[in-house]
Amino acid sequence: MEIIENLKVKEKLYIEKLENGLTVMVIPKKGMQKKYIIWGTNYGSNESSFIVPGETEVTTVPDGVAHFLEHKMFEQENGRNSLDVLTEIGVSANAYTTNDHTAYLYECTDHFYEALDEFMNYVQHPYFTDENVEKEKGIIGQEIMMYDDYPDWKVYLNALQAMYHKFPIRLDTVGTIETISKINKEILYKCYNTFYNPSNMAMVISGDFEPEKIIEEVKKRLIETKANGEIKRIYPEEPESIVKEKVTQNMEVSRPLYAIGIKDKPITCNSGSKDEIVKKHIAIEILMNLIFGESSKLYKDLYNKGIISASPSMDYEFSRGYAHILISGQSNNPEEVYQALKNEIKEMQEKGINEADFNRLRKSLYGDYVKEYNDVTDIARMFLADYFKGINSFEYIEQIMLVNKEYAEQILKEVFNENSMVLSIVAM
Amino acid sequence: MEHQVKEIKQGINLHLLQKDKFKTNLIAVFLTTPLNRENVTKNAILPAILRRGSKNMQTQEAISMELEEMYGASFNCGIDKRGDNQVLKFYMESINDNFLPKGENITAKTIENLLEIIFEPLTEDEGFKKEYFEQEKKNMKQIIEGKIDNKARYALDRCIEEMYKGQNFALYKCGYVEDLEKLDRKELYNYYQNLLQTCKIDIFVSGIINDTIQETIINSNEIKELKERKPEYSQITLNVTAKNQGQTVQESMDVTQGKLILGLNVELENEDMQYDALIYNSILGGSANSKLFQNVREKASLAYVASSSYLKTKNNIFINCGIEIENYEKALKIVKEQLEEMKQGKFTENDIEVAKKCMIDAIKTIDDEQDTEIMYFFGQEFCSIKLDVEQYLERISKVTKEAVLNIAQKVEIDTIYFLRN
Repeated sequence: MEIIENLKVKEKLYIEKLENGLTVMVIPKKGMQKKYIIWGTNYGSNESSFIVPGETEVTTVPDGVAHFLEHKMFEQENGRNSLDVLTEIGVSANAYTTNDHTAYLYECTDHFYEALDEFMNYVQHPYFTDENVEKEKGIIGQEIMMYDDYPDWKVYLNALQAMYHKFPIRLDTVGTIETISKINKEILYKCYNTFYNPSNMAMVISGDFEPEKIIEEVKKRLIETKANGEIKRIYPEEPESIVKEKVTQNMEVSRPLYAIGIKDKPITCNSGSKDEIVKKHIAIEILMNLIFGESSKLYKDLYNKGIISASPSMDYEFSRGYAHILISGQSNNPEEVYQALKNEIKEMQEKGINEADFNRLRKSLYGDYVKEYNDVTDIARMFLADYFKGINSFEYIEQIMLVNKEYAEQILKEVFNENSMVLSIVAM
Repeated sequence: MEHQVKEIKQGINLHLLQKDKFKTNLIAVFLTTPLNRENVTKNAILPAILRRGSKNMQTQEAISMELEEMYGASFNCGIDKRGDNQVLKFYMESINDNFLPKGENITAKTIENLLEIIFEPLTEDEGFKKEYFEQEKKNMKQIIEGKIDNKARYALDRCIEEMYKGQNFALYKCGYVEDLEKLDRKELYNYYQNLLQTCKIDIFVSGIINDTIQETIINSNEIKELKERKPEYSQITLNVTAKNQGQTVQESMDVTQGKLILGLNVELENEDMQYDALIYNSILGGSANSKLFQNVREKASLAYVASSSYLKTKNNIFINCGIEIENYEKALKIVKEQLEEMKQGKFTENDIEVAKKCMIDAIKTIDDEQDTEIMYFFGQEFCSIKLDVEQYLERISKVTKEAVLNIAQKVEIDTIYFLRN
């Protein structure tokens, strides 16, 4: 077991790779009542074509399988649903699917080990029947329709579709009514057996625990499985260019919603480039705030003109095979926001960054990183998501002071490229 | 002592929550005033104007720069409806001094900045600054009109509006466009000055608290200038005032999925029964084991969302389902069957145990989140019998099947609201 201590946030990470390939991470939090465990597989909605270890043929499955599988994992052979069983034990259980991973979790104060039996049992024992697969199509159908009524989800998805020609990030995680109709139990078993091998999974635990003890308890509950070989993931070749610059959808909203995307070159998560990814991510966070944060000139101008009335949300999203910036919010005039943003970027690229502003925003981001260690849920989720990107979350707080103005200026020129920008609008 | 309350002056309380397990200190100030049509819009716009600038930090840019310099301290404000009260909420959160790289001291500064934004607004000839006032009026109009954007939330708000037609609780917490037009920046400023001298004020500090922090608050000019008061506000009442006896309201909008909301009345004899009602709600629709989740979602496959929540301040339960529009009758029938089963006592001791475990788990974690704990103790301000977290736990663990069955008899459908296309 390896112990990594971070003196800045005064936390420790205990990490162990088990014989069957499973990685277990523990971040103890003394004094917290809540205990949180999350078990994820490095498999999300982006993986619909792959070569199963030991096979030679490519397997292609309908979109939305990873999410469908997540729903169906709770079903057990004894007729019980593990979500119900866990609730009966008195813990709060859930699961979710993103484009690059799927995760199962629960949180509780008491009954942790009792719940651990059920939790580790159900994730290791799929039980799919024709009947239970059919039933789920109705529920997921309603989930898809629920998202159809979320304008913020639509404007986001449309921005992705404007940026990506082929890469599956452009698709809805849950699939469509049509693609899920093609899902059957054979497909689910095949995906399960491929991606739910311990060597493709990681577990994170946070709360008031003795790390050695909890890792032993996890080991006891693992069924015997051999680590399988490498899964070859096949992604369509994605051109560097965008699909189209502007896309608009009509929906009943009081004021237009916008999402501005900036497509970046995908980052490879190979070892060695890990520090580079973290540094780049930090630089982009600072840059987004310099350009459009609450103390920026652009924000002030647009606010005073009445074009925006709240700060936009700004994210840098990346994983295997894709990377982009997304800036989104509501505005009476998204076109003007878009133009003004472009101008501001160009001006900053030409004139360079103000050193005092840079230092202040870096300090601010430092504080944001510290705040992430308040809550066991946030901690565990962050370590899991970063792990699948090849990153140890502590790296952010370790690297931040190494990111300087000159490096940020270089990233500003490389990433904030006018030809990679798209504008998505949802309006009446 | 976990939760300490000090009366700074009559009507102004300082709540101290000593916690050393967090990286942050959180300061919250709540101004509570009766909810009514005359003032709802005024109260709603006030935080929006205040956050634009204060006497010493005159622009949003100046405030933001100050906060960024303090390692990303964050300021938040908003408006809430709590029973028949309206609450103006202000928060500032900053990193605990122990986690700052250079051992700086920013906690006192955090308090000073928050108090300044609330109590020392930027003025211009005896009113709020014209530019800020005019602009926030426009923004507020957009926020009010924006209530249609979140369809699920909108459906719930509309159900409440129909249930409480003509009563204060029906009011939308952000106010009304037609009332915005009538506001005057000088009158509004005077209104605010009067509000500050008369309303209920609660100040919460959660984190590592030392004597200096308390003194910073109590001895600040802003607090010194406040007078004693006998604030007017509503305590929780048990009277059921929604009297629509199962009316049905349907509304059309451009939605893909129908949103079905049922507003229920729970007629209680005393405040203590609210804890039984919490368990009732948990069995009905509070978890994945609940009757609604099991029957509407898992068995009938009609919905992804099927749940219920108990609104303690008004003694209502709201049932919420997202369904295919054509399944309205089917879903409604299943929902009604669940209510009937509860009435007939078709739930087990085990259901009660599960509901208790869920609740106990949630209660035990109140202490793990600073904002949750603050809201818990703020909520207690409106109860006539005040319970600390331990007592709350004890009370929940004592709920019996009989008590829940008794609640079931007191539950009646008041309004069925359906948002469709």
